[in-house]
Amino acid sequence: MIKGSTIRMRKRILLITLMMIFLFFSILIIRLINLQIINSHNLFKMANSQQLASTKLTARRGAIYDRNMVPLAQSATAWDVVLEPNYIKNDEAREVISQGLSEILDIPKEEIIEASKKRSSYKIIKKKINSYLKDKIIEFKSQKNITSGIRLIENYKRYNPCGTLASTVLGFTGDDGQGLAGLESYYDKILKGEDGKLVSAKNAIGTDMPYDYEHMIPPKDGQNLILTIDSNIQRIAERCLKQAVEKNDARDGGFIIAMSPKTGEILALAVENNFDPNNPFELCNQDKKVLEETPDEEKQKKKSELLSKQWRNTVVNSLYYPGSVFKIIVAAMGLELGLVDENSNFNCSGGIKISDRVIRCHKRIGHGPLNFVEALCKSCNPAFISLGQKIGSKNFFDFYKMFGFHEKTGIDLPGETKDVFFSEEGNMKPINLAVASIGQNFGITPIQMATAACAIANGGELVTPYIVKEIQDKDGKKSFSKKIKRQIISSETAKRVADMMAQNTICGGAKNAYVPGFRICGKTGTSEKKEKPLIPGQKEYMSSYCGFAPVDNPQLLVLMGVNNPQGGQYYGSIVVAPNCGLFFSEALPCVGIQPQYNEEESKKYGIEIPNLVGKKISEAKTNIIDLDLKPFVIGAGSEVLSQVPSPGNLIARGGTIIIYTENNTEGSENNKVKVPNFIGMKKSEAAKIAESAGLNISVSGSSDENDIIKTQSPSGSEYVPKGTTINVVIHNDNLID
Amino acid sequence: MLSKKKIKKKEEIKHLKTKKRKKISLKNIKILGIRSGLDMPFLILVLLLVTIGLVMMFSASYPNAFYLHKGDSFFFIRNQAIFATIGLVLMMFVSKLNYQSLKILHLPILITSFVLLLLVLAMPPINGVRRWIQLGPIGFQPSEITKFAIILSFATLIDKNFEKMGTFKYGILPFLIIFLPSAALLALEPHISCTVIVVLLAAIMLFIGGIKLRWFAYVLAPMLGFLGYLVLFTNKLTYANTRIAGWLNPFDSASGVDTWQTRQGLYAIGSGGIFGLGLGNSRQKYLYIPEPQNDFIFAVVCEELGFIGAVIILILFATLIWRGIVISIRAKDRFGTLLGLGLTMQVGMQMILNIAVVTNTIPNTGISLPFFSYGGTSLLMLLVQMGIILSISRGSNIEKT
Repeated sequence: MIKGSTIRMRKRILLITLMMIFLFFSILIIRLINLQIINSHNLFKMANSQQLASTKLTARRGAIYDRNMVPLAQSATAWDVVLEPNYIKNDEAREVISQGLSEILDIPKEEIIEASKKRSSYKIIKKKINSYLKDKIIEFKSQKNITSGIRLIENYKRYNPCGTLASTVLGFTGDDGQGLAGLESYYDKILKGEDGKLVSAKNAIGTDMPYDYEHMIPPKDGQNLILTIDSNIQRIAERCLKQAVEKNDARDGGFIIAMSPKTGEILALAVENNFDPNNPFELCNQDKKVLEETPDEEKQKKKSELLSKQWRNTVVNSLYYPGSVFKIIVAAMGLELGLVDENSNFNCSGGIKISDRVIRCHKRIGHGPLNFVEALCKSCNPAFISLGQKIGSKNFFDFYKMFGFHEKTGIDLPGETKDVFFSEEGNMKPINLAVASIGQNFGITPIQMATAACAIANGGELVTPYIVKEIQDKDGKKSFSKKIKRQIISSETAKRVADMMAQNTICGGAKNAYVPGFRICGKTGTSEKKEKPLIPGQKEYMSSYCGFAPVDNPQLLVLMGVNNPQGGQYYGSIVVAPNCGLFFSEALPCVGIQPQYNEEESKKYGIEIPNLVGKKISEAKTNIIDLDLKPFVIGAGSEVLSQVPSPGNLIARGGTIIIYTENNTEGSENNKVKVPNFIGMKKSEAAKIAESAGLNISVSGSSDENDIIKTQSPSGSEYVPKGTTINVVIHNDNLID
Repeated sequence: MLSKKKIKKKEEIKHLKTKKRKKISLKNIKILGIRSGLDMPFLILVLLLVTIGLVMMFSASYPNAFYLHKGDSFFFIRNQAIFATIGLVLMMFVSKLNYQSLKILHLPILITSFVLLLLVLAMPPINGVRRWIQLGPIGFQPSEITKFAIILSFATLIDKNFEKMGTFKYGILPFLIIFLPSAALLALEPHISCTVIVVLLAAIMLFIGGIKLRWFAYVLAPMLGFLGYLVLFTNKLTYANTRIAGWLNPFDSASGVDTWQTRQGLYAIGSGGIFGLGLGNSRQKYLYIPEPQNDFIFAVVCEELGFIGAVIILILFATLIWRGIVISIRAKDRFGTLLGLGLTMQVGMQMILNIAVVTNTIPNTGISLPFFSYGGTSLLMLLVQMGIILSISRGSNIEKT
């Protein structure tokens, strides 16, 4: 038999064949089992994740409103410009698109060309453009007949309609809309909502595949916050604080808290330096200078340090020594324990010896014999130290805890910090107890102090301060209300302390915060800062004022602090109290408290303005002249439509009342006048100048004829409508606290 | 028994020896009309694979055709079907020719192969490699001819020098003279995968041809030594290294290697699971796998037909190889055996290497899947080669069905 192969060949052929078929094929089949059976699920998922392109549908972030639904932070529709490199067909199209976008968006062209070469169907090149730019891009697309390659995807841009108002409270959001500070951060989950998704099957160049798969998960918009903040009070508070900080050249800024003492609602909260929440990464001018002086290699570090300082909400994030303001708490302890009453006698010799140290009174020669009310009004240190000794360290610490100083208040703001007491368990040496009795050497947060003061104002209840009143969305709302932690002192004790504080405003250290027509309770304080001072040897102070009004039914409580004043004066009574008076005079009407003048006040401060609206011109004129005031008529109507100043206010004799008889004339430019500078004048001089300018003045503070005006609002050189009342505060600079 | 066989063998050798001189002249060769019919199982397997290949090629290619050829979904399949038809006609024609006539063609084909290999180096590079010669609308790779030329000339020479295969002069030298320049020219293109196939084919054919096994050691030892030197002491092989890095971590793009193709192929294979997504339902072919109609067509096959479909196709290939080997072993002469084996081995090797690449069993290298991958001239060439095997089967000593 003739065969083409020999035995040896056959053997070799067989060997190779077997090798190929059994070895290689089994390797391949094992490999296929591994891929198609064992790892199939994983690979399928990975394949799916690239085949299913999901486009994020951004949820609209909830808005933040003040208590009267004035928007403070909102999200407006903006657009992300998305480049779809896979859709750009050729270099020519790339060139056209890059050129156009580079011109409209002001991005270097090379950057866009670079991005367009990525293997992707989704590349964001500019985030959150406004509708003007969006329209320009749409126009550009239709002009150049571009159908693919550029997409505009809806997004939202956060902005604050009221500018810097309440910026510390509101905080701000980052690039991706995440809350980074303040309420934006604390309530981030609630505000941000849930982003949706549009999932669809895409081929590798991002166009649709012929098999159907599209699934949309709609975005769930964020919920709105309605705050307890009143934007009017907030505005007043910020102005008063800013004025106090600027006037006293306070190196470390200041803070102000306004609360509704009965409920714990925060009505206003501000911190200097404020930053612009629309531009949070921008340093304020003062800090920019500091940064310029920093050597280059430390600039980055310094900048973040300055930024975090700028964002810091000192009201809840920082500690301070309350100083003499704390005496109202010590007074409450003493009265509640029955250790003192208003008529208890103290004797101040100018100092008191504790262990081997002498703590001096601010009045070196001593106050001499004085009762408890006088001790508070004169803020006598030895008197309060000896009261503290009577209270004893155990009771002192118990009350300290009762007043909420040893716990967080629970306010809904991020990063609240806790007090630092002499020891965590409350052990105090005699010297500790002594200085603690005058508010020194233990650190608390301003919000703790304000909340404790609320207890004195509201009859002894410790409440939880809160800033969000309502969380609201289209399905409904969730309201928050007053939360009482505990009753600390009897309402009677609280009232007695309040009365003493009211007395303090009439004839004590808080006199500069006196506002005619309102019964204000107040206490000033000045504490020595213990941190290392900037200039060695020079003491640094924290000046503060805490007060509430009216005494019989407190509706508004304020705590203001001015940190490290460098203007020569540092007592809270001089640095802070006048601006708090100003605050009360403007903010109390916002909480529904109108001034009610007693006879004495009417005589001293002027004339209460009658309501003239609706009267005939002639009748109104006679009315005004009879009151020793001047009428000024604007418009040719026959009836009074509105008037400036509004009824109820007090103005000085000889002041002007503007009556408007036509609509739309109020506030028009030709009726505006420049506010004169009243600072440094006596009351009588100021009244004359105001009269000639067609303005009115309303006076608060000291009633001494020789004292001069040191604070005014609005400030000099501003333009206001004729007849506007300018609030001025007369300071008594001999006050101490 | 053994001694009888040995005697028989010697007789055979004598018989062949006397015939040898006469054979290489046209007169003695019958062009047509070899005594019996062709091998039906092999023919059916070829037809099956061609049909399945065309269907799968259409399925894999239509997204690319649609997106990249102005919406003409039939762009690739039209070409491929035309070539397949011509190829099948040629196959049937060739199967009727006497394969022995190829013996005298071995030198012209070898020379053509060299000329084309030199010519292709003068062609403009496509993606950095010079593998294609374009003649009007038709392009082809000279390497296809080279593979055939090597198989044919080795078969001819082994047959001629069969008794002296143990010597260097007859068993090694002539083959080196043919083989080394071919491999070098292929490596210059560069076309590493084809070089590897040529090396393996040459080695297998020499092995079957009966050269002394120590020659493999002589060649392999310095080769391995040189390779080790390159890897350990130079960075000449960074190109290969990055490929190997990509092979080991196809999903880790951090290695800086472009593993897109491998990755997409694995996604497709995995997505298929046991039963597949169904014919035509591959998602990965939608521009994810680059050119799914080419080297990575098997990934689409796996995705659409699943593990079961993939194994059935593997079995078809295995049966084809088995049948090809049976035909070759039983060929009526040694030349037929060697030629048939070479051709079968080429298909087998290419198929195994292709699937190994697609499944990331070995590092990625461009190698097409016989009967499936797009490429008109290469399909044409393949079917002509199948025709040669069928021609061998006509004379071979197997049961015809």
